[in-house]
Amino acid sequence: MSDRSSGSRRTAGPRRGVPDLARLRALNPAALVRSAGFPVTSAPTPSSVEPLPGPPLGDRYESSWARRPLARATRVATQETLGRAVTTALCAPQVVNRDRIDQLEGPAVFVANHHSHLDTGVVTGALPRPWRHELVVAAAADYFFDTPGRAAAAAWFWGAVPMERKRVSRRSALAAAELIDKGWSLLVFPEGGRSPDGWGQEHKGGAAYLAVRCDVPVVPIHIHGTDRVLPKGSSMPRPGRVVVNFGPPLTHGDLDARRFASRIEGTLELLADETTSDWYSARLAATRGESPGLRGPDIDSWRRDWLLERRRPAQQGAASPGGSAQRTWRDRARGNRPW
Amino acid sequence: MSRDRQYRPRPGLVLDVDRSTPPVLMHHGEQLRLQKLPADRSRIIYPPEPLEPIEDPARAVREALASPVGSDPLSARLFAGMKLTIAFDDVSLPLPPMRRPDVRQLVIESVLDLAADAGVDDVHLIAALALHRRMTDAELRHVVGDRVYEAFAPRGTLYNHDAEDPEAMVVLGTTDHGEEVQISKRAAESDLVVYVNLNLVAMDGGWKSTATGLSGYRALRHHHNPATMTRSRSFMDRHNSELHHSNWRQGEVLRSAGVEVFQIETTVNNDLYGDGPMSVLAKREWEWNVRDRASFMASRAALDRLPAAGRRKVLHGWRAPYGLTSVQAGEVEAVHELTTAQVHRQQLVPVEGQTDVLLFGLPYISPYNVDSIMNPILVHCLGLGYFFNLYRGRPLVREGGVVIMSHPTTPEFNPVHHPSYIDFFEEVLPETTDPTVMAERFEKRYAEDEWYRHLYRTGNAYHGVHPFYMWYWGAHALEHLGGVVVLGGDPATVRRLGYRPASTMDDALEIASDIVGPRPTITYFKNPPLMMADVT
Amino acid sequence: MTGPTTADAQRKRPLRGEALVFEDSPARFGLARLASSLRPGAGAGTGPLRHTEDFAPPAIDADSWVRIRPRLAGICGSDLAAVDGRSSRWFEPIVSLPFVPGHEVVADHDGRRVVLEPVLGCVARGVHPLCGACANGDLGRCERLSHGHLEPGLQTGFCESTGGAWASEMSAHLSQLHEVPDELDDTAAVMVEPTACALHAALSAGIASEDTTAVIGAGTMGLAVVAAIARHCPPRQLVVAARHPHQQDLARSLAGSLPTTVATDAQLIRAVRRVTGTMVIGSGAQQRCTGGVDVTIDCVGTSSSLALALAVTRPGGRVVMVGMPGVTTVDLTPLWQREIALSGAYTYGTERLDGTEYRTFDLAMELVAAADLGALVSATYPLSRSTDAIAHAAAAGRRGATKICFDPQGTR
Repeated sequence: MSDRSSGSRRTAGPRRGVPDLARLRALNPAALVRSAGFPVTSAPTPSSVEPLPGPPLGDRYESSWARRPLARATRVATQETLGRAVTTALCAPQVVNRDRIDQLEGPAVFVANHHSHLDTGVVTGALPRPWRHELVVAAAADYFFDTPGRAAAAAWFWGAVPMERKRVSRRSALAAAELIDKGWSLLVFPEGGRSPDGWGQEHKGGAAYLAVRCDVPVVPIHIHGTDRVLPKGSSMPRPGRVVVNFGPPLTHGDLDARRFASRIEGTLELLADETTSDWYSARLAATRGESPGLRGPDIDSWRRDWLLERRRPAQQGAASPGGSAQRTWRDRARGNRPW
Repeated sequence: MSRDRQYRPRPGLVLDVDRSTPPVLMHHGEQLRLQKLPADRSRIIYPPEPLEPIEDPARAVREALASPVGSDPLSARLFAGMKLTIAFDDVSLPLPPMRRPDVRQLVIESVLDLAADAGVDDVHLIAALALHRRMTDAELRHVVGDRVYEAFAPRGTLYNHDAEDPEAMVVLGTTDHGEEVQISKRAAESDLVVYVNLNLVAMDGGWKSTATGLSGYRALRHHHNPATMTRSRSFMDRHNSELHHSNWRQGEVLRSAGVEVFQIETTVNNDLYGDGPMSVLAKREWEWNVRDRASFMASRAALDRLPAAGRRKVLHGWRAPYGLTSVQAGEVEAVHELTTAQVHRQQLVPVEGQTDVLLFGLPYISPYNVDSIMNPILVHCLGLGYFFNLYRGRPLVREGGVVIMSHPTTPEFNPVHHPSYIDFFEEVLPETTDPTVMAERFEKRYAEDEWYRHLYRTGNAYHGVHPFYMWYWGAHALEHLGGVVVLGGDPATVRRLGYRPASTMDDALEIASDIVGPRPTITYFKNPPLMMADVT
Repeated sequence: MTGPTTADAQRKRPLRGEALVFEDSPARFGLARLASSLRPGAGAGTGPLRHTEDFAPPAIDADSWVRIRPRLAGICGSDLAAVDGRSSRWFEPIVSLPFVPGHEVVADHDGRRVVLEPVLGCVARGVHPLCGACANGDLGRCERLSHGHLEPGLQTGFCESTGGAWASEMSAHLSQLHEVPDELDDTAAVMVEPTACALHAALSAGIASEDTTAVIGAGTMGLAVVAAIARHCPPRQLVVAARHPHQQDLARSLAGSLPTTVATDAQLIRAVRRVTGTMVIGSGAQQRCTGGVDVTIDCVGTSSSLALALAVTRPGGRVVMVGMPGVTTVDLTPLWQREIALSGAYTYGTERLDGTEYRTFDLAMELVAAADLGALVSATYPLSRSTDAIAHAAAAGRRGATKICFDPQGTR
């Protein structure tokens, strides 16, 4: 079955369910609640009235409660049980090259490509402790923090913090920097959103900026395969193979944020190439400046789809050194602070 | 409301009802109702949100006493060996009662601090309740606070005013309109009377504090009568209130008789419910969140199912978290002007134009049934007295219009607090509902009835004449209106009040259209929290 | 003996007709008492009262006794007590069983309508010489109620010999009969006997024009008392305790121009307090006026009505009982502490008004006509529907009625 046909099946799925839903509306609790009306449901704001400013949302959302002990403990427990079970059931991610961060210490900015809602779970599951549990995830302020319920769920389950992706916002950058300074690590998807077609998108500069500003290393991570398991626009996951490839921690040295950003993007391209070919070929290609890149050619969409099909990961079953490596530096950690 | 602290409190709102407007919250005595109003000809007046309270009330009080208007600082008017009388507003203010500490406690403590510094030994504290019921010990303690209560009550110098004690009352003179001026003898003989007021509505305060609060039937009958009340338009608007003109004239006599009054007036915001379980009652319906809606539905169901006594216990147990918004001290009239402005700042809602039908949802409490039963006469007083008169300019409802009040109006009375009300209901109302007729035929007998006098002086009963005053309070409205409909009221009782009963809003509007014509305009005055319509 | 005269023939002819008979059955008496404790009036179904189509009362072999045919016969409170098995045992020596009840009656006699004055005094019993009371015309106080040629019985309707009005035919002594003027219809005429009782009570209460007076109860008797007071001895102020709305309206209209306050039983203490300017002390059952009215007429006759009467009567005042009390438990401490005079008012005889003597029945006929008391008759039933009739009478107030009557000829 080709991707195209499966793609059409994905879109057909929900449509086929529509008539059934219509017939069952009488039994639909949500419809029942709606038909009960006010005060069971909320009342519409009269058109002549200025709406009451709601609780702060978007990049103003106050997520600190999700980093308090109780929220953290329940998050860790949930991630380690339910989260891990779901990830394992769907894709059982294969983690490769995690030994590259054996020497990493202290907070870091983890940078990954972004295809799917699964990415966060896959990365956090692949991260060794202590980063896994002392991590905040930069999440789209306009998407995950648009309603109080969704904001609370994201903040609690992923430890998400709002990150403005559509406009320059000093507020979210400052808040993230403050968290890194406090010892939290940050997971950023610099593409600013999930890929619509499996190819990468242009990187935004926030991750590099934060790494430079807070003087912490950046760890690039390439995720392969989540675009097939749960692509953007789908709500029904299809189990499949996923590879998580850790890159080496990068320090900015004396690079400014912009150049550091392009170095990070380059490293991710190298890692992507490495996932589909092998380590050395990828290095050679990179040296020659022939890495295939993440964004794909600037051509019509069907051909981009077509090309993507050729980028399949090489069999790397045995090549996962450090897959079970556990860091020990945490044992030397001082006091209550993570670092 | 902590969340609202981030915003400036919003002013009142006049909302035009359209088809998408949700049903609106309406008090129905001790119960809650949601009422859908006809689209395109109804409007709802929402009260303003609570003003920001003063952050340090105690300091504000001290400052007001140190720099009063039209007077020397209080400390300069206190001296050793003087007779000092501190009079304060009674249990009828505020509504519902305030959480501890009551504003009056703050003020009285500050005054006593200064008096102690000046070495004043002879201090009396009097609850200026005129012909209201005596306050219980617990109520006095709540108002003045433990420190003051324990310092003065055991010595007998903290007590309720007794307007029927012939030894303790004195007539100081007569105004140029022939109105007698009567006042507590202790106040008259004091070197200084400090009056501690809590101004909830614009009617309170000014000379009404002393000329009414410390007075008796002999003086009150000159302005608490049908003629004065029909000429008070409204009695919430001092400059257009004959009631207040009369009080001011009596105040003039007090002043010229040498009674020194140092007036301290305070205003509070309209934060009745705070963040508590009842906070939904102060919110606008479309701003009710999930918790608000759940708590509303739960409260409504609980109140509907509880027996009346249980409902009362719950509701009358509520203490409101008012915040102090101003305190001013000094000369009575100057102080009162400032106070009125403060009350208006919180309560005024500009409203354009009058309406054919005015709608009230009467709550469980009125000034005269704190910890008690809202009997049918108080329903009349709250609806046609208080709510109707909460206007400035002209009444919200046009002349010949109709008032619809939502209240169960059960013929229930508290025999301890309202003994004369029961007789008024059984004897006077079946005969007449005309204030003038009842004043002529019955008032004197009730005012001079030995038993009522006895209960007023020794129990916790309102004075015998008080139900008449409650009825007169609605005199202006009775004259102005074409009819009154009570929605959901006990039919026999409602008819005895001279009103028409209706079981549903549709019926009520139907009855109203008989009087004012088809498709009347409707205005729902969504009170409480208290507000005042500035009608242009 | 040469054979019976016409009168004798009429007297001795065996009477066979429809009647309600109160039988001598202690067991049924007990049953009635039990049933009526559950629902007043229930004694009619289970008790000693029996409907029969074949009743023959014993003939009376004495002069001046005639047969009359009842047109309308009222149900009185004392009848209800008997039917429900609640009568006092006091009556045992002055009642003879079995009897036909019914003493409020308008009947046909010789083509004329008559009302019966039911007391069976010395004259009717053929006792000579008359007892002192009968000689005075105070028939109700007769001392010979179990003597003479009749079986014991204080009135027609409680005496085996005479029959009673709840039958198609009965016996009457000519001295008992009062001719009904044409302007009184039957419903008005049947009200003459109770009105006479009420008149007697009102006049014997000694109400002075400056007095305040309370009337407790506004059934037939209470309303008639109000009418009598208003007509013959108006006090300064009258207070009437009437439980039901229609009773309150009737009390107001019968009082006419007399200053009257009408209250429910529960409101009576407050109402009396208001009109007498006294105070109220105590709470619950101990609530009372410190003063009160000068005269209270209790037209109910229960322990609670008597207690209420004592609570609203001033020290030194008077309580008159018109309602038949029976065995009543009541705290008489107020009677003692407040020196209240308690007296009864039973039936009628001769009244002295402004120095003139009138027979009570004559005054009653005049009052019935003047006050239109015939309007108090709410419903009539044939004898065969005695259970319904008595249930209606026992619940008259609640059912918006006042006086319930039988129609013994079944013609209505």
